[in-house]
Amino acid sequence: MATVTTPAPKRASSAPRFRSGLLTGMLILPAGLWYLVLLVAPIAIVIVFSFGQRGATGGYGGGFSLDNYATVLRRPEPILTSLYLALVGTLMCLLIGLPLAYYIATRAGRRKSLFLILLVIPFWTSFLIRTYAWLMILGQTGVAGFIGDLIGAPGFRILGTEWGVLIGLVYGYLPLMVFPIYVTLERMDRTLVEASKDLGAGRWATFRQITLPVAMPGLISGSILVFIPMMGEYVIPQILGYGQVFTMGNALVLRFLESRNWPSGSAQAVALILVMLVSVTGYLWYLNRGRRDRDVSIL
Amino acid sequence: MTDRDLDRIIARMNAPRVTRRGFLAASGLTGFAAFLAACSSNGASTAPSTAASTAPTTAPSTAASTAASVAPSGPPGGTGTTEGKLFMYNWADYIDLGNIESFKAQYGVTEFTYDTFASNDEMISTLQGGKVGIWDVSAPTADLVPALVKGKFIQKIDWAKVPNAKYIGPNFKKQWWDPTDEYQLAKDWGTTGIGVRTKVVKEPVDSWKAFFELAPKYSGRIVVVNSQGDVLGPGLKALGYSLNSTDTTQLEEMRQLMLKFAPHVLALNSDTYDAQLASEEAVLGLVWTGGINDLIKEPETADTRYIIPTDGTLYWVDTFVILADAPHPEAAHAFLNFIHDPQIQAIETETNQYATPNDEAKKYVSAATLNDPTVFVPEAILNSGTLETSKDWSGDEQRADIWAEFSSKIGK
Repeated sequence: MATVTTPAPKRASSAPRFRSGLLTGMLILPAGLWYLVLLVAPIAIVIVFSFGQRGATGGYGGGFSLDNYATVLRRPEPILTSLYLALVGTLMCLLIGLPLAYYIATRAGRRKSLFLILLVIPFWTSFLIRTYAWLMILGQTGVAGFIGDLIGAPGFRILGTEWGVLIGLVYGYLPLMVFPIYVTLERMDRTLVEASKDLGAGRWATFRQITLPVAMPGLISGSILVFIPMMGEYVIPQILGYGQVFTMGNALVLRFLESRNWPSGSAQAVALILVMLVSVTGYLWYLNRGRRDRDVSIL
Repeated sequence: MTDRDLDRIIARMNAPRVTRRGFLAASGLTGFAAFLAACSSNGASTAPSTAASTAPTTAPSTAASTAASVAPSGPPGGTGTTEGKLFMYNWADYIDLGNIESFKAQYGVTEFTYDTFASNDEMISTLQGGKVGIWDVSAPTADLVPALVKGKFIQKIDWAKVPNAKYIGPNFKKQWWDPTDEYQLAKDWGTTGIGVRTKVVKEPVDSWKAFFELAPKYSGRIVVVNSQGDVLGPGLKALGYSLNSTDTTQLEEMRQLMLKFAPHVLALNSDTYDAQLASEEAVLGLVWTGGINDLIKEPETADTRYIIPTDGTLYWVDTFVILADAPHPEAAHAFLNFIHDPQIQAIETETNQYATPNDEAKKYVSAATLNDPTVFVPEAILNSGTLETSKDWSGDEQRADIWAEFSSKIGK
């Protein structure tokens, strides 16, 4: 038997394998370096800083203390506000995004590309300009004034409330929800729906048993794509919230720019990362529970 | 109405006074403003290359004639002594463009670059990041000077080369930020005060005490700049304490005052507070001078007033410094001397609409500007001894905590 497996073919096959390994390594190298230098290293620095003390003139002054985390825990309002906004914002994106994606994927027909382009066009304009535009739309001379007149409450405001911020968040991040769902629904086998109807299922049952499971991967990645930036959002709460909606972003800016206290700001940042990690992991765990067959991952 | 608001916001973001003390600017508004400037053909750009063509407000002829008159007061050796280049690092649009041209012509400077920062923090962070030896002159706020000295980011000024420093008033000499007057030359200064729409607010609001007492009555119509020192300082002043108080019980008392005040505040807004006052969404404000003088000039909002409280307030001073390892130290000294020539300095005051620390220059400033409380503080208040500059409290945990708690309770 030993003569059957001669070493010659082995050697012949190992060289290309080695070469392909080298090739893979070289192809991964740029991305790997990118992540190492721009993601892993900065996070490591932030974690180290978060245990330090402020330098005499600001910045990072070395040392070791847990005070920064005590400060974060003593003032948990921004974490709770951000978490609340991100959760409600994601839910709203889901409720608006799913029907929209469904319509574009299955009913829009020839106008499909048009709708997709319309979704993207706002991104050609600066994010800040679009947010300032909402200041006009929702202000006392816009929607809020109109509603105030209708209900007879001249002081009615949308800006400077959580609703104002939520409208801005949903507007800003909706496309990130629509596209992943659209992609999954676009690929859906339409005959499944017909089969379901042939077998006597109603519209709701078909949606629940066919469309929704097909769209699930899109829903999940969309939710995560939307939830994470919403958690860390600073500009929208600052402009549309009038500073009345105090988020993690606000807290970070105060620590870094107002106090020039990098360690304290780093602790806030680590807390933000932890909250995101826990919520996203919890979400995925919840979706995966009892399902050995299909492992749901982030993307 | 909406168009007008938009115009105002855009104008506000393009205005030099915003970038001087704007807060959001740090997070990208400068880019936005630059974008807008690029869009509008006549927008004042921050690029020095356009300086000659767009020199605003001051007629070129004035600049030229004054330039001629200063020549004798230049440094010994005159025009030939500079390196022919000057690299400035400053707040956006903070030097009169006509003056820059005069300086270039007078001192044979062919290359004058102007890079900008949007906050003191950005300025020192850039230097901390190793960008030393790049620029010659900068003008951060005075409270940053001790940190700059400690970090060896600025060099001592050779006063023999800056004879015009003699015009600087006593209020700006031997101050806590530079007790021996070795490192900085005051550039200009301004106050934090009360903005009022007198059309709506009929009560006199002449003190911080009155301001905080009126808050419940005008609940939800009060705008406050988003800056820790500018807001906590008035809280201490209203209680009759120094805004640099280190007494923890006084600070706690101030915390209680601020927490009672927070629910009545409409917005923490450093960027468009004037737009909110203009639309009467806010009728009372704890504000800077920027934008307020424009409201006063417009018929629809002419009832707006800027009040410097009688119980005292804080003022900021921006200071010229020469950076360590400046590549062109002779030109830097020449510039400092040039800019404080009384007539040149008066042009600066008219352009920037900030008070000059240069007593001699006031003779050349128009009466309208001299009597404008948004520019110059009235003599009576100036002599009352209630004005204070805020020290660098960025490292004070108690203040940071009060401010964080205050910020999270706005409108609630």
